[in-house]
Formats: sequence, C-alpha cells, structure tokens
Amino acid sequence: MKKLINSLIVFYSLKFAKTITYMLQVSEYRPGKYLKWFWSTDDFSKVITRQQLVKTSKARAIVLGINLGIAIEILTGLVIMFLGANNKIIGGVYYGAALIIVYPIIWSQGIGLLVFMARVLLINPDEKKKIEASKKTFSKTKATKIAVLGSYGKTSMKELLLKVLSKSMNVSATPGNMNVAISHARFANKFTGNEEIVIIEFGEGAPGDIAKFANNTKPDIAIITGLSPAHLDKYKTLEAAAKDLFSIFKYVSSKKVYVNLDSKETNKYVTEKEIGYSEEGALGFKVSEVSNSLKGISFTLSKGNKVLNVKSKLIGRHQIAPLSLVAALALQLGMKSADVEGALRETEAYEHRMAPRDLNGATIIDDTYNGNLEGVRAGTNLLKEVKARRKIYVTPGLVDQGKLNKQVHNEMGELISKANPDIVVLMKNSVTNFIKEGLHKENFKGQLIIEDDPLHFYSNLASFTANGDVILMQNDWTDIYK
Amino acid sequence: MEKIAVIFGGKSAEHDISIITAISTVIKPLELTKKYLVVPIYITKDGKWYSDQKLKDINRYTKKDISETLKKLKPISLSFDNGLELLRQSKFGKVSKEKIDVVFPSMHGTYGEDGTLTGLLEMANVPFVGCDTAASAVAMNKVLAKKVAQSSNINVVKYESFNKVDFKSGLDKISDKVKSNLKFPVFVKPAHLGSSIGISRAKDENDLKNAVELAFFYDDLILVEEEVGNLIEVTLPIIGNHQLTPAFLEKPLTKAEDFFDFDTKYLQGGKKGSKGAKGSQGYSEVPAKLDRELYRKAEEVGLSVYRALNLSGISRVDMLIDSKTNKIYFNEVNPLPGGLYIHNWIKKGISNTEMVERLVELAKDKYNEKNSINTKFSTSYLRQF
Repeated sequence: MKKLINSLIVFYSLKFAKTITYMLQVSEYRPGKYLKWFWSTDDFSKVITRQQLVKTSKARAIVLGINLGIAIEILTGLVIMFLGANNKIIGGVYYGAALIIVYPIIWSQGIGLLVFMARVLLINPDEKKKIEASKKTFSKTKATKIAVLGSYGKTSMKELLLKVLSKSMNVSATPGNMNVAISHARFANKFTGNEEIVIIEFGEGAPGDIAKFANNTKPDIAIITGLSPAHLDKYKTLEAAAKDLFSIFKYVSSKKVYVNLDSKETNKYVTEKEIGYSEEGALGFKVSEVSNSLKGISFTLSKGNKVLNVKSKLIGRHQIAPLSLVAALALQLGMKSADVEGALRETEAYEHRMAPRDLNGATIIDDTYNGNLEGVRAGTNLLKEVKARRKIYVTPGLVDQGKLNKQVHNEMGELISKANPDIVVLMKNSVTNFIKEGLHKENFKGQLIIEDDPLHFYSNLASFTANGDVILMQNDWTDIYK
Repeated sequence: MEKIAVIFGGKSAEHDISIITAISTVIKPLELTKKYLVVPIYITKDGKWYSDQKLKDINRYTKKDISETLKKLKPISLSFDNGLELLRQSKFGKVSKEKIDVVFPSMHGTYGEDGTLTGLLEMANVPFVGCDTAASAVAMNKVLAKKVAQSSNINVVKYESFNKVDFKSGLDKISDKVKSNLKFPVFVKPAHLGSSIGISRAKDENDLKNAVELAFFYDDLILVEEEVGNLIEVTLPIIGNHQLTPAFLEKPLTKAEDFFDFDTKYLQGGKKGSKGAKGSQGYSEVPAKLDRELYRKAEEVGLSVYRALNLSGISRVDMLIDSKTNKIYFNEVNPLPGGLYIHNWIKKGISNTEMVERLVELAKDKYNEKNSINTKFSTSYLRQF
C-alpha cells in the first residue's frame, strides 16, 4: 500500500517526467527494455536511487515534451470538465476528469511508443546510412585495423594496445564503451588519414553482431579476450555466444586472430593453440619470473635472445596474458624493445577495472565495471594471493546471465569462498541466495553481511575499513536491475 | 538482534560534540555491522530525554533546529524493573516499554563522562560501554586524577587546585599562592570539563586572574599548573578492561602557545597545524615521531594511568613530555574521547565498525564480571530494632 501511495505521489507530481526520462535513459532509449522495467516497478519513488538523470539535450527535450504534453492534457481535461458542467458536453465532467487522471499511463506508455517510432522512422535509417558510409572509410584506410572482442576484458585490452602502440605509432581507438556499429561509423568519420593503427572494440550483444561489425570494419588482426556467460538474455547459450565470437575467423584475411587461452570457456573452442596467448606467453614469447602485488605486476618475457622486462601497475595474474600479447604484438608491428618496456611501465588500472585506491590505509580494489564470471575468477584469485589484515569481498552479483543465472552465481559463491575472505558483503537482490548457496557449498567461514542499501554501504565504506584491509568490489548494479 | 541504546547530547558544554560522536562514530557503524538494533536517546540541553529513529539523522541537528523535530515527540521515561526499559507514551496515553540490552553512552563532559550517567546505568543493572561510575568520576576530575596518578608514582606537573570557597576569598589570595608555589607561565583549567573549554594560559598575574575568573565561570573546582618547557604533547587512546590495547601515540601538530583550545580542536579543523592526519581534533601526527625508547616509555605511562585510575572500555590518556629531559607527565584522562579517536584506531588497524563491536563486547564482559560478584549479605541487624 505504501509503495502504491509513493508511486501515485510520483505520478501526479513534477517528478513524473524526470522519472520516466531517467528510466528511458538508463534503458538506453530501448522501448522494450524501458517498458519491461516500467511494468516490473512497484515503487516509482525508488526508481532514481543509484544515479541521477544525465541532463543531455535529448533528456531535457523529453522532460520538457512530457511536461508540456501533460499540461496540455490537463488543460484539455479541465476545458471538457467545464463544458460538461455547463451542459455543453454530456458527461464532460467525467470524461475531463478521466483524461486528467490517466495522464501518467498515457505519457509513460506513449513516450515508449514515440521513442520506438523515432527509432524506426528517423534514427535507424540515419544510422544505416552512416554505417554504410563508414564501410568505405574502413576499407580505404591504410592503417592496420585491430578488432578487440570478447565477453570481458575488451576495454582493458583496447586501452593497453592504445597506450603501448601510441609510444611509437599514430594510433586511434574507439572511445570509451562506444563499441557498436553506429559508434564504429562515428569513429571512422573522425579519421584523419594519418592513422597507422586503428583499434576497434566490438561490443557484441546478440547473435550475428560480430559478423556485422567485422563486415563493416574489415579488421586485419582480431583479439578474442575471453568468453564467459554475458548477454545470455540474447544469446541464450554460451555456445551461441562462442559461435558468434569465433565467426571473426571468417573475416580476418591474415588469420591473425589471437585468443585468450586463460579463459576457461574460450579454450574449449580453440583448436589451433599456437594462435592463443595466456599466462604462459604469447606469439612464441615465454613468461617467467612473475612477481605480483597490489602495486602491480612484473615478469620476464623471452623468445630466443630477445628478452623483455615487463613491469606494469596493472594488478592481478590475469593481466599477464594481455600484457604479453600486447608486448609481442608491439614488437611484431616494429616497435623497439625499450619503447615497449617503457610504455608498459606506464600502464595502470583503468577506472573501475581492478583499480586500487587507498582509503585510510586500506586498499580498495574497484572492479565495479566487471560484470562476468571470469572477472570474478581473476578478482578472487588476486584476493587469495594478497596479504591483508582483513580481506573483504563486496558484490551485488552479475547481470544478464539468462538461463545460467543460478549456475553462474552458485559458482561465483564458490569462487568467493575459495578466496577465503574474512567478510563477504552481498547487495541484496534476486541473485543473493544463489551466491549464498555457493558460499555454503564451499563452507564459507567468514562473516556474511547482506546489505539492503548499496549506496548506504558504499558511502560508509570508510567506517567499515582500517589500515591493512583489502576490499575487492566487483560489479555494481544500476537501478534497472533488481 | 541486540538492542543498543546510544545516549547523547545532555546538559553539558560539549553537547554538540556529543551529537557528532554519537551519530558519526557510534550509531552509523553499529548499524553497519547489521548485528544491532540501534535506539538513539537524545538528551536536550535542559535535560529532557527523547528517543526516536528520526534522531539518528544528523541533518536534523546541523541543517535544522532540532527543537522542530522534538516538538512532534514526547519525552521518554525510564524503568529499572527489568534491567533498563524505555517508557514511551502514545498520543492516546498508552505506555509502551522497550527493553535495552546494552547502552552506549556517547556524552562528553558534565552528566556524561563524569560518572553521573553511568551511575544511573549501574542502578539499572544494564551493560554499558566505557568506564564505571567511580573511574569516570575520578577521570573527569583533573585534580583527583592527578592525585590518584601521583599515588601510583606517575609524574604529574606541579599544580595547585582551588575551589569556590577559595574564589570567594579573593583572586589575590589565589594569585599569591600560585606565585609562591608555581612558576609562570601557568595553565588554568576547570577541573571537570573536557574539550579544552575554559582553559587559559597565563603569563603573569594579570592573565592569571582573568583565567581564574573564566575557569570558575565553568566549574567550581579549578586547577593551576606549571607549563612544561620544551613541550611535546602526546595522547594515547586505549581500549580494554584488563587486557589493554593501545592505539598509536598521537602528537597534535600545534605549537605550545597554540595549545588546543575549543576552536582549534573542533571548529578550525586544525588550521593551526600544517600537515599530518586530520583527526577528530584537527591535524596530528599518528604515530607520534618520537625516539623509540621515549615512545615506549610514554606508552607505558599511558597504560599505567589507565590501570591506576581503573579505567575500562575506552579512554584516552594525555601526556606532556619535556623533550630536553625526556620526562613524561600525566596530564589528564578523557573517558570518552571525541569521535572515539577513530582516525587513530583506523591507522592502528581497527575499523570504526570493529571498534564499536569490541566496545559492546567489553561492556558485556564487564557487566558479567560485575554480576558474578555477590552483593547480597544477610545480617540480623534490623531485628535488633
């Protein structure tokens, strides 16, 4: 009852337009996703919790449009009521009142329809045109095109390549998380013609995506960073996701497709192991003398007489494979050993990806952009390895795990338990019990805290930690996930 | 879940500091542990007791006038029938009882740290965090605390104490006694107040008279003591009942002449210091950079004071060091350090949530220990009448 009252207060207040626009924005303006969220929400006063509406021009226009529309609807309703009261329209009072009362339904659903129409009639044709035009740009460029794809580790690999190769070459890479066809087209549109290397991140999310992206961009080299359950709402099975990833072989004429063999799932689908890269090395280079701490990782990479001393501020053993591949690839592309070593020394964690920071002497490892089981495996391995006064693991769980949801979260619980943390903090949601099952299966003996309010927990982290603690925070759910 | 009442505010000059200590460093971490149900009890400046979950919201004190919130609430009363119970009266006159398992007093100064509140809690026979009545009373009386320390062969700075009778006899008499027994500059302090309220430094007789007047404005017992030359001021937070755990020895980064007055401690956020960790009391050096042997000795003095004064739960021992002679003097004790001195404990490796949990456990240990002592003794004394 309280939730219903709270929702009605939102519906019939100035917060309505902002709330609806926020839901659209977080749903990436996808009508289906938005409507699904809308109809599964039982308390609209809690919708805007974790983030705020980003006031882009699109969002501002939608808020203004909804408010104007509502104002017109209310005015119209009042006029009908007035005419009804003066016997000019039979039943006008009721019709007018009904028109006013139903405005939240009309506008919440209508805006979904409007966005859908805009996408079909305006946005999609425009994007199609831009994508077609970009095909020519990608074909014409003399730059070596490197495609980065996989269920996880794409952005990190892209940033790593960019950092190292830029030391000696003119390199351009798709910005941020811009990794779908239209982002690739916009990226191509900015080419200067001086690029020597172009790095394109493939953000596959549904069957056929890889083929589509590859067909548009025609990469010379491709790197499959790993496979794990992700976007299974669309792929349905891991096999389907693997099939999509490995379809890249058809499009890379040089056959230079490098696959991360450290990824348990990816490994299953690789027949030619020589194209792989792993903790053991890459492109014929062998890894030795590994030293790993919260300050970074170092190791030796050698092939015949060629020896590279790799040092990086990236943390975790799972970084050995990408560091090795990037180093080997940089040499193959003509960089000098000293330049490669120097560039690798400058590599450090990317925001929210295994990024360590100090909090009153405690080390917080922010891995909140990690959203897959392999990331959990890497994180828990690191937690197992480091020395700390107390080890604390914090997570809400993973999203978009489809049919594997229970299985993945059971395994996640087991991995966490094996890392033997002193405290596990789970943000309460639909997968909490699955993680708990995994923890119990592996006889977790530490303290388990179930937190109802993630924001409250994160903002009070300083009260929870002290000098010498290591806190690993993996993944963070946005308001859309429950 | 155990129900923990956190009592704060109170009829004390340190009322506002108590609110911050209670809400930021006690209530919030207690709730974060997910082990306790926290019942906030706020005592107004005129001594009325209120309890409501709304009183946990710091914004009601900082951004609004708390009296606005209190207008809508009814004061509570206490019952000792079954341990400690809060009695709440509804709008229709119905009284409901809420049993409290443990009390976490978060009041500084008068009626809080001085043993009066703990006396009430001891009568109620409820476990409570911190020192017991006798230890609190001694600790919060700077004169008495020095006497107890002296009896345990702990060095204290040369001092004189004066009461209201002395004050009424005239400032000249006080001044004469100070001049004949102590050397200027001296510090004049109210005997019972913490947070440096009413403390002045007097360089001469004129300063002294003003300082004495100011100190008697706040208290009926004052202390005049010599200034320590080549001063290093250090403080040592300690927790424990029998097994003691010291935090780091901490050195405030202030000059001798800028001794910690109320403004420096709480309002200026340590502007007078230049570097170091910003704690609840401004900038300080944690751990204090002292010669290893001097550090060890100062820590030992702090622990000796804690034992001599029979402190328990948590306290902070302040000491003065003459850096030329390396002589360490006990200065004073604070039975409830502002903000629990949590910045120091965090450096030591004890988080705020761990700290409150430990203090609650220590409270229960002390309670169990006390309740194992027989307080009943049958006599035939009354039969003779």
